[in-house]
Amino acid sequence: MDRREVIKRCALLTGAVVIGGELFMTGCKNEHAVDPNVMFSSDQIATLDAIGETIIPTTNTIGAKDIGIGAFMAKMVAECYSKKDQEQFNMGLKSISESFEKTNKKPIKSASPEELKSFLTNVDNEARAYMKSKKDDDPTHAFVMMRQLTILGYCTSEKVANESFNYVAVPGKFDGAVPYKKGDKTMAKG
Amino acid sequence: MQDSLFLNTKAKESHTFDAIVVGSGISGGWAAKELTQKGLKVLMLERGARHDHIKDYKTASNHPWDFEHRGKTTTKQKEDYPVIHRGWAAQEEVMDAWANEKDCPYTEVKPFTWWRSYRMGGRSLLWGRQSYRWSEMDFEANAIDGNGVDWPIRYKDIAPWYSYVEKFAGISGSKQGLSQLPDGEFLPPMDLTVVEKDAAARIKKHYNGQRHLFIGRVANLTAPIEGRTNCQFRSRCWEGCPFGGYFSTQSSTLPAAAATGNLKIRVDSIVTKVLYDKDTKKATGVEILDTQTNQTYTYYSKIVFLCASALNSTWVLLNSATDVWQGGLGSSSGELGHNVMDHHYNLGASGKIEGYEEFTTYGRRPNGFYIPRFANIGSDKRDFLRGYGYQGGSNRGGWWRDVAELAIGADLKQGLTELGGWTLGAGGFGEILPHHDNKIMLDTRLYDKDGNVTTDTSKGKTKTDKWGLPILAMDAELRDNEKAMRKAIVDDLKEMLEAAGAKDIDTWDTGHNMGHGIHEMGTARMGRDPKTSVLNGFNQVWDAPNVFVTDGACMTSSACQNPSLTYMALTARAADFAVSELKKMNL
Repeated sequence: MDRREVIKRCALLTGAVVIGGELFMTGCKNEHAVDPNVMFSSDQIATLDAIGETIIPTTNTIGAKDIGIGAFMAKMVAECYSKKDQEQFNMGLKSISESFEKTNKKPIKSASPEELKSFLTNVDNEARAYMKSKKDDDPTHAFVMMRQLTILGYCTSEKVANESFNYVAVPGKFDGAVPYKKGDKTMAKG
Repeated sequence: MQDSLFLNTKAKESHTFDAIVVGSGISGGWAAKELTQKGLKVLMLERGARHDHIKDYKTASNHPWDFEHRGKTTTKQKEDYPVIHRGWAAQEEVMDAWANEKDCPYTEVKPFTWWRSYRMGGRSLLWGRQSYRWSEMDFEANAIDGNGVDWPIRYKDIAPWYSYVEKFAGISGSKQGLSQLPDGEFLPPMDLTVVEKDAAARIKKHYNGQRHLFIGRVANLTAPIEGRTNCQFRSRCWEGCPFGGYFSTQSSTLPAAAATGNLKIRVDSIVTKVLYDKDTKKATGVEILDTQTNQTYTYYSKIVFLCASALNSTWVLLNSATDVWQGGLGSSSGELGHNVMDHHYNLGASGKIEGYEEFTTYGRRPNGFYIPRFANIGSDKRDFLRGYGYQGGSNRGGWWRDVAELAIGADLKQGLTELGGWTLGAGGFGEILPHHDNKIMLDTRLYDKDGNVTTDTSKGKTKTDKWGLPILAMDAELRDNEKAMRKAIVDDLKEMLEAAGAKDIDTWDTGHNMGHGIHEMGTARMGRDPKTSVLNGFNQVWDAPNVFVTDGACMTSSACQNPSLTYMALTARAADFAVSELKKMNL
């Protein structure tokens, strides 16, 4: 098991954020943060908003677009990802955008939610198949990155932590056995 | 912290004190508290910047969304802190706490991960707070199996000092009546989770009462003590606690020392050497380098406490009295810089626990469970020496687990708000034997402009830090006994998790570089004989009895328990001895 996997296992035990974590562990010398507004055009951020909103859509609670998921993904990729992962993300974004446009004759940002969901569900399946068969050194699929960043940005946002989760800044106590049933609001990450 | 605590370096300052304490971490804080409370005028020297209680805990009251990278570090930080990024400590909220790796380099002859925090309070702000007594077995170990030298003390010598420091620091925990892990003065224990309670019972039954799982003993207050509020279960300790809910220099020892009116602090002050007088065979004070002005100053005192963290206290000694001993103050034994130890980890196991779906937890417990040593105790004989303990926990994953089973869309969104199943697991902490060839030294080699070692003096120069000071070279590694132990650590844990009812158990062992355990110890060991040890039984340097080393450097063996509580007890004991010797005019 590699170092990143160990960190993931340890994180599980301590309740730390696992999802997407391995992508933040890598980095080489001479890599500098890039301004997200230079790396990503406003069109691309709108596309990421649409992709994020498809991953976590508006239902009776807000969707990912409402918390600005496109800008969040852009920031994390530009400032925290290694150069190799940045390239992988950008190539993936480009290929997803082009592939959608080719099939649907319109850009992602103009797609209907249904069109985009059906398209991205296929991408998600492809990504899963790729991740299963890939070698350790092969890069993570760009859609996996998007899905992970969407979950991280969405669930740690102020609105969602307070509305969809029970955010308690100062719990004041620890109880090792409190009743829980499916549907109860769960504690947000502190 | 009031400003009057700090030495006014602009005004004409006093350069003479009763005692100088080098370092402001766990050991330095205790030394300052004890010595000032006994009436000595004390100067505390800290190489890093001022870091005031509460006021300077800049992120401590942030909400998760206030962190722009949600806890992740940037590529710039990865480049600036490559050592810290080897492990789990690279988190957005604490990156400012770590020592600047470019300014403060060190050489890894063999891989060595050195976690340093150069600012007021040192690692007392960042520590894991696990607080365990050592036992008679640990103090006798070297004498029995012949590794290293015999400890000059036994459990009875330190037991009252454990009680003394526990009462002040505030350690929560439960009494277990185990000889290998003596009970202490505990505040009420934290709660085990429902899963951990059952796991504890199953393990006890399976191993006929020979193995034990119980709540960690931790320096977080479960009841308020003077001037400090009890733990609020935010689990944000290492950002600094605005409630003073855990033991740190800032929350605990420093206010006590300040209250005496006997303390002065000088920050931005690297102690470069202990000043040694050949005639009296004693130290006269220290020389410091002001990191802001690059000026050198001297301060004088009757006694010096080196509490600069294990390897840095030794670095000071290596640089001191080199006109008398080429290898530095305390080197006459040939052991200064040798016998570096740590606890080896990066191995463990975890599994799924079925059921308990009607339960979850409330609050964020800054603690887990502990499984104390059982190997090589009683009839449990192994083909390696010494033993290991485990720290672990259990929880139900929320959205932060990788909910891979759900694709995208409304189902995923719904799934993120629901809890996953329980996970139970732990990591091992193994004892490292003292070995003479595990050593640190000043790096005197010459390096050419490409960083390659050269013997050509015209092409190479020695490496120095930002201030032109010599740097340490680390040459230490795990040896056969530790390697043999690692397999047992994982196998035993897997078996215990199975006994506890866990399924789908994953194990891991990614190897351990020295230092990674953040429990670096040794290099100026205590002993009974000046020919084989650097310090005596009261932490006095044999070659300069008014110099005391009471941090991790003094350790003669490493046991497998977290060592900070022992540093506290040894420091308080040495301070008490030093003051009584001063009164008797022996120093």
